[in-house]
Amino acid sequence: MAAVEEPQDYLDVLQSHRGGFSFENCKRNAYLASQVAIKPPTAMKSGTTICGIQLKDVVILAADTRSTCGPMVADKNCEKLHFIAKNVYCAGAGTAADLQHTTEMMESQMELLRMATGTQPRVCTVVRRLSSMLFKYQGYVGCALVLGGVDVTGPHLFQIYPHGSTDKLPFTSMGSGSLAAMAILEAEYNENLSVEEGKKLVAKAIRAGIFNDLGSGSNVDVCVITKDVGGTILRNFEKPNERKFRAKHAAFPIGTTPIMKQEITKLVSVEEDVVMRD
Amino acid sequence: MSGLMEYNGSAIVAMAGENCVGIASDTRHGIRQLQTVSCNRQKTFQVTDQCYVGLSGLATDVQTVSQLLNFRMKLFTLREERKMQPRMIGNMIASMLYEKRFGPYFTEPVVAGLDGEHKPYLCTFDFIGCLSTAEDFVVSGTTAEQLFGVCESFWRPGMNKDELFETLSQCLLSAADRDCLAGWGGVVHIITPDEIITKKLKGRMD
Amino acid sequence: MAPVANPKTFCLDIKKTNEVLTAPKLMDFRKGTTTLGFVFQGGIIIAVDSRASMGSYIGSATVKKVIEINDFLLGTMAGGAADCSFWERHLNRLCRMHELREKERISVAAASKLLANIFWQYRGQGLSCGTMVAGWDKKGPSLYMVDDNGDRHKGNVFSVGSGSTFAYGVLDTGYSYDLTVEEAVELGRRSIYHATHRDGASGGVVRVYHAGEPSVGRSPVGTWDWKP
Repeated sequence: MAAVEEPQDYLDVLQSHRGGFSFENCKRNAYLASQVAIKPPTAMKSGTTICGIQLKDVVILAADTRSTCGPMVADKNCEKLHFIAKNVYCAGAGTAADLQHTTEMMESQMELLRMATGTQPRVCTVVRRLSSMLFKYQGYVGCALVLGGVDVTGPHLFQIYPHGSTDKLPFTSMGSGSLAAMAILEAEYNENLSVEEGKKLVAKAIRAGIFNDLGSGSNVDVCVITKDVGGTILRNFEKPNERKFRAKHAAFPIGTTPIMKQEITKLVSVEEDVVMRD
Repeated sequence: MSGLMEYNGSAIVAMAGENCVGIASDTRHGIRQLQTVSCNRQKTFQVTDQCYVGLSGLATDVQTVSQLLNFRMKLFTLREERKMQPRMIGNMIASMLYEKRFGPYFTEPVVAGLDGEHKPYLCTFDFIGCLSTAEDFVVSGTTAEQLFGVCESFWRPGMNKDELFETLSQCLLSAADRDCLAGWGGVVHIITPDEIITKKLKGRMD
Repeated sequence: MAPVANPKTFCLDIKKTNEVLTAPKLMDFRKGTTTLGFVFQGGIIIAVDSRASMGSYIGSATVKKVIEINDFLLGTMAGGAADCSFWERHLNRLCRMHELREKERISVAAASKLLANIFWQYRGQGLSCGTMVAGWDKKGPSLYMVDDNGDRHKGNVFSVGSGSTFAYGVLDTGYSYDLTVEEAVELGRRSIYHATHRDGASGGVVRVYHAGEPSVGRSPVGTWDWKP
């Protein structure tokens, strides 16, 4: 059996976990939690409404833009539509950090694959890789995804659950507002819709989530993926919740706040001539 | 937030102005929540000439992460012979925190800086590294809820460096007045293209 | 008694359900306080802070934590605001009844015992009170500390609340029975002041009452705000 190498200094420690999760704080955190006797802190979630529809040769995804942290709205206009490849996008619900990093990881994997094979990535590749990864983490990586794209085999729409199960569907919704969105989709979806009608439908479904689900809110983002153009994100496609008014009070007069000490550091730009020696 | 996030107490807020950006924090260091042990704890850290990182949360992790950041910044400058832009620092912190997704540091950083074109860059993270950017202001710490409230009404677009200072400090002071765990003085850094202005605030000491 | 299966743990159970359901911290109203009282040659000094906190949120910075039970009795509150103010108002009624029945003012000892008996009856059912009862009777000034366990102590120097340890530090250093009224007021003020600095749950203004012969003042001798 190979001997386990003991890390020598910080550089070695850093080198030993290049990539992958690090569990070096786990023991300490368990100890701290037992000392303070508390529940683990809550991470930022997107109590979300996301949905997607598949039409003749186009896939349309949509999402709301609220991210929450417990009862607090942490971000009023966040982005829940993630780029994976030019022709594959996904909308995410669940733990915000997991979504962000999982999709970024997938983005880089797909770009490497594209460069290695010289072909456009297929939607089923992305789905397989995501579901294997999520299954491996047993649901602890909290990603619920609606993934859509158009590849050589046509348009595809998938949904992926945090435990790694997948479905291929003509239309779907996920997140806390999924029921409201699904109600709209069930009533009005039809595979012969035009792109414009499709955009209106997903926006309407998301709006249902925004207004009927407390975890969802703010604006509607839409992403249209076509065979020729690839994906385009229409950021804030609809803004049904713009701030109505703002107090018109004057700015604080300069000198309002009493200060004890002031330090000013001047920044100077240093230009260095590089002399090339032969 | 959990007990560990509230163990030491902190209030951090950063705001964007016209070609300037500011970051402010309180200075209290508490233990077991309510006991105040020091009134000059550092919670904002300069990482490059025009970029500050504010770290709220558990003090031990605040210090560890700040040192870790310092280490990464130095290593980067040695390897690349250039400075990190705030956006890059943001992404670096996000991956540093997410690496420890299942054994996290209990700190929620805030990044405030000016990029190459002197445009403000602001972002915050949750403690497992979900990056969220903002155009106007970002907040963090035990006083986050109060800070959200005051900033929503007092922030205005296009503030110059003096207006930015007043707004930032008034927001910090009024928010901290409603939090048992933060206050006891404050520090404000205003970052402009050609200078960094650091002011210590006179705050309530109870 | 609450009409539930286990009335003894009613408050704790409510707290548990609220944590999970709608209102976390609902039952945590006003837990942090610094109050103090001491007897000296010029009577009694009562000094309190004015912060009301719900968890770490400061609900108010101008709470009145001294309850003027009647012209001769003062009570302080630490712990649950509603518990203290309700039972001390109730005590006011009991004291008045005593006066009418016995044609004589109630002694501080008896008044504090009435309160302690109530707390004893409800012991373990979730009342949260740390109060001092101070006042004048035939025997002169006296000061009692009564808490939700049913504890009742007579003494010359007391401090109650989360900031009490800090207040004791200053108070014990400066205390002497022979203080003048001005010195005593200043000592009370300074003790609370330093406690509010160190204790996160205490703060706001310092209110000081001086109960001198022959009757207790119904308004504070002074209120000092924190100077930033």
